[in-house]
Amino acid sequence: MIELKNVTKRYGKFVAVDNISFKIEEGEIIGLLGPNGAGKSTTMNMITGYIEQTEGEVIVNGYDMLKKPKKAKREIGYMPEGVPLYTDLTVKEFVTYMAEIKKVDKKVRKEKVKEILEKTGLQEVQKKLIKNLSRGYKQRVSLAGSLIGEPKILILDEPTVGLDPRQITEIRSLIKELGKTHTIILSSHILSEVSQICNKVIIINKGKIVAIDTPENLENKVNSDNNIYITVEDTENKTEEVAKRIEEIQKIELVKENQDGTKQYIIESKGNTDLRKTIFSEFAKENITIFEMKKADTTLEDAFMKLIEGGKN
Amino acid sequence: MLAVIKKEMKSYFYSPVGYIFIGLFLIMFSIFFYIDVVQYTSLNFEYIFYSGSTILTFIVPILTMRAIAEERKTGTEQLLLTSPLSITKLVLGKFIAATLVVVITLLCTFLYFGILCFFGKPHITQALVTMFGFLLLAISYISFGILASSITENQIIAGVITIGCFILLWFLPQFSTVFTNFSLINMFSKFPTGQIDIADTVTFITFSVMCLLITIIFMQRRKSVR
Repeated sequence: MIELKNVTKRYGKFVAVDNISFKIEEGEIIGLLGPNGAGKSTTMNMITGYIEQTEGEVIVNGYDMLKKPKKAKREIGYMPEGVPLYTDLTVKEFVTYMAEIKKVDKKVRKEKVKEILEKTGLQEVQKKLIKNLSRGYKQRVSLAGSLIGEPKILILDEPTVGLDPRQITEIRSLIKELGKTHTIILSSHILSEVSQICNKVIIINKGKIVAIDTPENLENKVNSDNNIYITVEDTENKTEEVAKRIEEIQKIELVKENQDGTKQYIIESKGNTDLRKTIFSEFAKENITIFEMKKADTTLEDAFMKLIEGGKN
Repeated sequence: MLAVIKKEMKSYFYSPVGYIFIGLFLIMFSIFFYIDVVQYTSLNFEYIFYSGSTILTFIVPILTMRAIAEERKTGTEQLLLTSPLSITKLVLGKFIAATLVVVITLLCTFLYFGILCFFGKPHITQALVTMFGFLLLAISYISFGILASSITENQIIAGVITIGCFILLWFLPQFSTVFTNFSLINMFSKFPTGQIDIADTVTFITFSVMCLLITIIFMQRRKSVR
């Protein structure tokens, strides 16, 4: 559906996107992750044809973006960052205008506009001027604008930024719904959002691809550490000493001392063994009361941080 | 292209811009009409347009300064440039919309012509030729204004560049006769005598085409440096 071949974007000497290649199949929902300035928006802008790559090829549904821009652009619905809109038009006028410049057939135009307004929940405000709408509605209008013309691919640049939690869930479920019929690429800072919506994640850092995988796989990659959080009541301060006696423990570190006198430690094990049983029995022998013990969950956040920091070293 | 024209006309008349342009022009036109017709008891409708051309110098930027600069500033150009719409059609659409506002203004001036007809017998052909010349001057100004608007994302700067260059072109012949043919207003001043000067007509049109072409090339080039 979308293919990037050795795409590079340079601004003078600064390399914004450095020789990236990836392929996106039909029906996938892709999350583009990366710290600020990593090249997410630049990559999206090149896929949509808003900017031209310095080197490489962008192929959208079989059409080269540089050689057949009109055909390639028809396949894409783009919701740019910061939701730019014509604020002095009404919602309906805006969506109609977008339908016109996307060359939606005149006979079906009215119908299509109505359909999109319904889909995005905008019928009630369709006669309002866009400048008088709330942020959440503006986001919807922008989404409606990108949906018109029946593009097969949707590219959403930070679709939930600046929304309140309720609006975020609304937009997310809307995107999920759209994912059934479209190929979607979205960029986001919110990692939990990406792991919820997307079935594949591309992590970009400093213009380079750090990882392409499913959110679960990425989490598992980092998960191998088997770290354990443990909260104990230990009046004689023996915990560290006892822990050192257990062979499989590689490292024990105090995380914090709670106000009620308990202490929280993080225990790192050697290899891939689950130490919870051993710890429980050993600590019980020494009269150390365990209040809480849990395996440290790794999230996409950890995977992300690890991959990004790995890139620095 | 029709979509762009429609949308631009809406923006002109949903906002005060269109009304300010037409209003300012007609107010000044009325003052000149009063001076020429009532005070000097002249029936020469054409000469009011000669004065009118100086007003045009100052008010055309009202129409053109936001044309592309605003799209760039608000980011809406991303919507346009990622749609199948070509840059040529976008620029032409904006140009035609601004020209239509001037045409509407010109139609309003027929009212004054009507008043003259009521009291005397003015030359209709001479008036029409003048209006034709005036329109040519206007499209040259508009295309230059759009060019200025495409090189910056600040409307005010676009407006100042436009007025600055117009005034420069206007007064260049004062410095040296070499520049006589550089002044757009000078070229227009032959039309009120009732003759269509082919050389001047061609100059006006080529000047417009050149400005619009530079705008289009400029916007296309920006794709690779943005």
